[in-house]
Parts: sequence; structure tokens; C-alpha cells
Amino acid sequence: MRHVDYGEADRIVSLFTAEDGRQKGFARAARKSRKRFGSSLEPFSQVIVHWRTGRGSLWLLQETELLNSRTGLRTDLPRLALASYAVELVELLVEEAESHPLIFELLCCFLDYLAADGAVEVARLLFELRLVYLLGYIPHLLHCSECLKIFAAEPIRFDAARGGSLCLSCAGPSGFAIDLKTIGSLARTLNVNHRQFTDFKFGETTRHEAGRMLAQVLSLVLPRDPKSLKFLQQF
Amino acid sequence: MLGSLPSFARLTAELGKLPGVGSKTAARLAFHLLRASESDVTALAEALLEMKRKVGFCQRCFHVAEESFCRICRDPARDSRRLCIVQEPQDLLAIERSHAYSGLYHVLHGALSPLDGIGPEDLKLPQLWQRLEQEPLEEVLLATNFSVEGEATALYLAKLFKEKGVRVTRLAHGIPMGSDLEYIDTGTVQQAVAGRREL
Ligand SMILES: [Zn+2]
Ligand SMILES: [Zn+2]
Repeated sequence: MRHVDYGEADRIVSLFTAEDGRQKGFARAARKSRKRFGSSLEPFSQVIVHWRTGRGSLWLLQETELLNSRTGLRTDLPRLALASYAVELVELLVEEAESHPLIFELLCCFLDYLAADGAVEVARLLFELRLVYLLGYIPHLLHCSECLKIFAAEPIRFDAARGGSLCLSCAGPSGFAIDLKTIGSLARTLNVNHRQFTDFKFGETTRHEAGRMLAQVLSLVLPRDPKSLKFLQQF
Repeated sequence: MLGSLPSFARLTAELGKLPGVGSKTAARLAFHLLRASESDVTALAEALLEMKRKVGFCQRCFHVAEESFCRICRDPARDSRRLCIVQEPQDLLAIERSHAYSGLYHVLHGALSPLDGIGPEDLKLPQLWQRLEQEPLEEVLLATNFSVEGEATALYLAKLFKEKGVRVTRLAHGIPMGSDLEYIDTGTVQQAVAGRREL
């Protein structure tokens, strides 16, 4: 996911793995010699790592095999910014060493889609929605969060702090008005496998409202604003 | 142990702030200085202070300089229609050692980094745009690193320079001189194939 230089020649690498969640690895001489690790430890790359246990929880990286360097992400600034944002969300929301195979698949498929020139807005919406869902933070959608009434074509509001969608009589002035169609579209999206990113179409209103809603949900659960968010808004 | 030697502890703490120096190395250096002669230690301390007082950054390109302008900016033989953009003064020195480039430079002192929240305003970029108002350019060579941050910076600059009608080039990257293809890592080979050129 990222690396920081350590001393003269070494690197500490943040990894996200299928079985062992987020881990930190120590790559000896990774800065000076390219023989052992080459470019395999660059952000967004998918690699097989061979490691030994070291001091504390740090993995001592022995050898790596590069599977996919996703070079497409390096040729377009908006995609690079979004990929960085997704990685940072995972860093902020997934505990170290907590196994999350589905989130691992989600991140891999998301990066693959972006690297292959995928649509930036769609990718962001799908990633945020599914990440929130897989972490168990999905708000109430098709019924009122408080009186549990199931909505029938009616105006509703959304307030993440109160649990999600709200009927007008429960909501009062809190949250913001949201189209039931947006909510319906997101609920249907959650029925599609989290690895699929192609063949989605969202209208302008849906994208805008869903973006606002997900931003509200994320700001409730994030320990701080992602640093890459400012960057993402700029490009 | 060092609690009873506050001045020794202070020195190891200061040395430990240097890049690449951990607490063990810091203690080793401190012990070395403890045994060194007073004149050697004075010479080191004076050299540190003198460097800090005298060396600053060139007002034009932000390379290190002991005067207002660096050696390269003062050299009339340099080709002022070409500008090479690097991340750090050390990168400038690496290109100078190659003797393959005779234009001017601009040192950014960093690179864009979405993950660390480093944006254009955190680099020497406003100074670059200001500079360009007085210096007409024909070519800009983007020589930022081939890391994600360096590539992001190059993409960002390439777009802005193209809008200004300046020819933009990027350092080539691929197989190091004198190396065997079979030992090169996959990522580098991928880049080298993608960036192949006509012969
Ligand atoms: Zn209600
Ligand atoms: Zn200069």
C-alpha cells in the first residue's frame, strides 16, 4: 500500500494481504539494491511475498514475486489520486492484522478496474459503498431508521448520525433530503458481487446524492480526514 | 545509564535525529566524539555552524548555494531555453555528474504525495510559475523520481506545461546499463517494453 524509508537503505512497507489483513514488512536494502525486490513493493502492486517473523509484529521480507504492478494508475492523476484515497480508507478503517478477505478482493478489483481506464466516479461510489457495507457500517436504507416504516414512493431524508434514511415525520429538519430512487439504486447495487465494477450506470442525481450520503457515513466512522481527500478534490 | 550524563544524553538525542542514525549509531558516534581531540570536535562544530550560516538556496532554482544564485544559474554557458525539474538537490547533482545535460534546473524540494497530503502548494511550484513569466522556455525535462509520488508530480507538471505550449520530455527509464535482461525485475521490464524506441 505504501512504503517509508528506514535508515540509509531499508524500507518499511505497508501490506494488505488476503488472509492476514494489514501487515508491516521490513525490506532490507530495498532502496539501494533492486536485485531482491525490484519495483514489486511500489504502492498498488499485487505481489506474492515470502517472509519470516522478525522482531515484534514486523514481517521480514525475503523475496517477492510481482503479479501486477497496475502501471495504468501511474499515467493519470485523477486515477492515481483515487487509488491513493482507497488505500488510505483501508488503512484508516481496517485494524492491523485483522483478516478481511472480502475487502482485499474489493480493493484488488477496484485497483484493476481503475488501472484499466475505468470510470473514476463510478469506481469511487462502488468502492465507498461496498467498503462501508463490508465493514458493517451500512446505514438503514429502504426503511426509516427510527420507526422502521418501509418507504413507498415518498419524500425522505438521510442522516447518518441517526442511522440512515428517515421518514419525514421522524426526520424533522435533520439530515438532508434524498431521492428514494438513489437509495433504491444503492440497495440494488449491494446485491451485485463486490468484485464487479463494469456495467454500472448511475445518473447525475444518484451520483451526487450517493456521494454526499457516503461522505456523511464515512466521516462518522473515520478517525480523521483522509489526507488524500484534498488531493482527490483538486484533480 | 545516560541519566547521570545529561550532556552526553543531549548529544545522542541530537545525533539520533539525523537520517539513517538510530539510537545505537548515535551512541557510537557520541563515544567517538568523546574520545576525539578537542580540536577535532571544535572543527566539526564550526563546520556545522558555518555550513548552516552560509549555505542557503539559490533564489532562482532552489539548488543549494553559498550566494544568492547557484553556480549553475550564474554560468552564462548554460542553455537557458531548457529547464530540468528535479525533486531534490541530490537529484540535480546526479544529472550533473552525467554531463548529459547543459540547461538550467528547478528544484521542487519534494514531490506530490496524495497519501501524505502533499499538494502543489507544498513544493517550490509558485516560484516556478513566477520564474517562467521572465524566462521563455523551449523544453522542460521532467526528472522527478520513478516512484508513485515522482510520477504524480510529472503528470501534474506535464499537463500544465503543455497548456503553456512548452515541449515536455521525461527521463527515459528501463534496463540499467551493463545488466542482463534475465535478472531485471518484471516491473522494470514492463516499463522498458512499453517505452521501447525506434532504431
Ligand atoms: Zn420514521
Ligand atoms: Zn540556481
